[in-house]
Amino acid sequence: MAIGSLPEVIRIIIGNRASLAGFLMLLAFVSMAILADLIAPYNPYERVSLPFQPPSGRHWLGTDDLGRDIFSQMIYSSRLSLIIGFISALVATVIGTMLGILSGYYGGKIDEILMRLTDLWLAFPNLLFAILLVVIFSPQTGNRVVPIIIAIALVSWPTASRLIRSAVISIKQSPYIEAARALGASDARIIFSHILPNTTSLIIIEVITIMGGAMLTEASLSFLGLGDPRAMSWGMMLHYALSRNAIYLGMWWWFLPPGLLISLSVLSIILISTGLEEYFNPRLRRRL
Amino acid sequence: MSTTVFFLRKSVSAFLTVIAIITTVFFLVRITGDPFAELENDPRIAPETLRTLRSLYGMDRSVFEQYILYMYNIFTGEMGYSVKFSRPVFDVIMERLPYTVALLVPSITLSNYIAYTLGIEIGYRRGSRVDILTLALSNFLRATPYFWLAIVFLYLFSVQLGLFPLYGAISPGALFPSLGWFADYLWHYTLPFIVLVVRGVFTFVLYVRNSVIDILGEDFVAVARAKGLSERVIKSSYVARNAMLPMITVMGLRYAFIIDGAILTETVFSYPGTGRLVFEAIVNRDFWLLQGVVLILSISVVLANLIVDLLYALLDPRIRSSR
Repeated sequence: MAIGSLPEVIRIIIGNRASLAGFLMLLAFVSMAILADLIAPYNPYERVSLPFQPPSGRHWLGTDDLGRDIFSQMIYSSRLSLIIGFISALVATVIGTMLGILSGYYGGKIDEILMRLTDLWLAFPNLLFAILLVVIFSPQTGNRVVPIIIAIALVSWPTASRLIRSAVISIKQSPYIEAARALGASDARIIFSHILPNTTSLIIIEVITIMGGAMLTEASLSFLGLGDPRAMSWGMMLHYALSRNAIYLGMWWWFLPPGLLISLSVLSIILISTGLEEYFNPRLRRRL
Repeated sequence: MSTTVFFLRKSVSAFLTVIAIITTVFFLVRITGDPFAELENDPRIAPETLRTLRSLYGMDRSVFEQYILYMYNIFTGEMGYSVKFSRPVFDVIMERLPYTVALLVPSITLSNYIAYTLGIEIGYRRGSRVDILTLALSNFLRATPYFWLAIVFLYLFSVQLGLFPLYGAISPGALFPSLGWFADYLWHYTLPFIVLVVRGVFTFVLYVRNSVIDILGEDFVAVARAKGLSERVIKSSYVARNAMLPMITVMGLRYAFIIDGAILTETVFSYPGTGRLVFEAIVNRDFWLLQGVVLILSISVVLANLIVDLLYALLDPRIRSSR
């Protein structure tokens, strides 16, 4: 299962119905983020009308408390939600992969310490931990995006580290590793030219799997009011909707669409990873 | 290994987990900043007052000294004063804790029970309409931000239908020990309770279903069928009993999920519980309050985990003998 690379993962995604559906959905969201300037009718940060307007031909989803166009906010929000999700998943996977390789390759004391650390990390309430980290890394004024990415990455690496560790343990026992060692290859050489390439597909799957959870964590943090006040994400939109009483005022056009888009984008990622898991673990296939 | 030794081992590791969590929080929270920093720029506060305030809270000592004092205080039952509420941390927590416990314990119990029964049913009827519907729903809910689900419920049932109140745990003016108070409490309680149960059921049901499907493929089920045992007996004494084990493991791992759920639910429903308190404590840099809440929450959840582990050992003799 370990051999593979990006083209192969893409081939598998296209070959599986669930993955393909998820991939197409995600593609739609990514295009929405890239083409936001063309799709959105207004600048999402600018006052363009009276506040608290219901949906109309001019403002498809009405306007918020400052008279900004909600539909445009929704389109632009896809950028931050997807970028934070992707980058923090990437960072988490890099951390998890490094620790997983250390742990799986060297074994012994290092392995024991790292595994204890992983267990402790998993026992910690994710959101509580992430809130603490955002507050720690946030400067008094200024950018909140980087602190959020750091916080999400620091709470999400353990799953990657466990998975990579078990893969490395099985790869380590292959004859070609033994051969490389007999030829006098150093640990670094074995890790970088033999073990790492063989875990590529696993690493790609991990990035995708972690991204779904990362997007949900971002949404929760922003919803609680820890997001960047100068940028928009779907979670931030829900935060404003709740704090400006949109729910009590029955302004469903403000709080339904952003939540639905979070669900659909995370669902697309779950579909992709379900398909990939089915491919690599055929035992799951008969369950569906 | 005997059950006693098993229990002792688990207790020690539970104790160490609590110590590890509160230690981590103690040091992390001290990196977030100084709770008195804002007062420095306040012209109404004299430097001497600020100094006195700092020394009252032990902030004039080194972090390490503070930690030793903190540990000593915990073991003597002292949790300190909340900066935000200007009251003993213990009192603030005790005011809020009953709301959270009364919300979480019954909802977790009920959702586990429903997930278990439903999971066995749909595992048996794999591919049926109920099964596919449950699968689709739980995949969708897995992708749905939990607080958004709560918002949708609040909008539908409270704002549109007017069945439940908009926020809070009790109406202002309700007198505590009366039937009216209790009815009012239940009225506020229903919606957050339902949301927590729905979320819990659809999170756990897939684990049970998948393990039932695995169990049905096992040799011992085939043997039981070959012996001519009725399907009812197989279901109750072979499948249901074995499906309990993975379920308990997952529940044990899920304590973090419970605290996170409490933070979000209480925010949406403006519920005056400890989940919301923990968030306010972090944002206000109220170190002592945060430490207190985290201590209480981690002790209660680690205790719950310990009970789960014991149940597990009673149900599965292999666990006791392994390692």
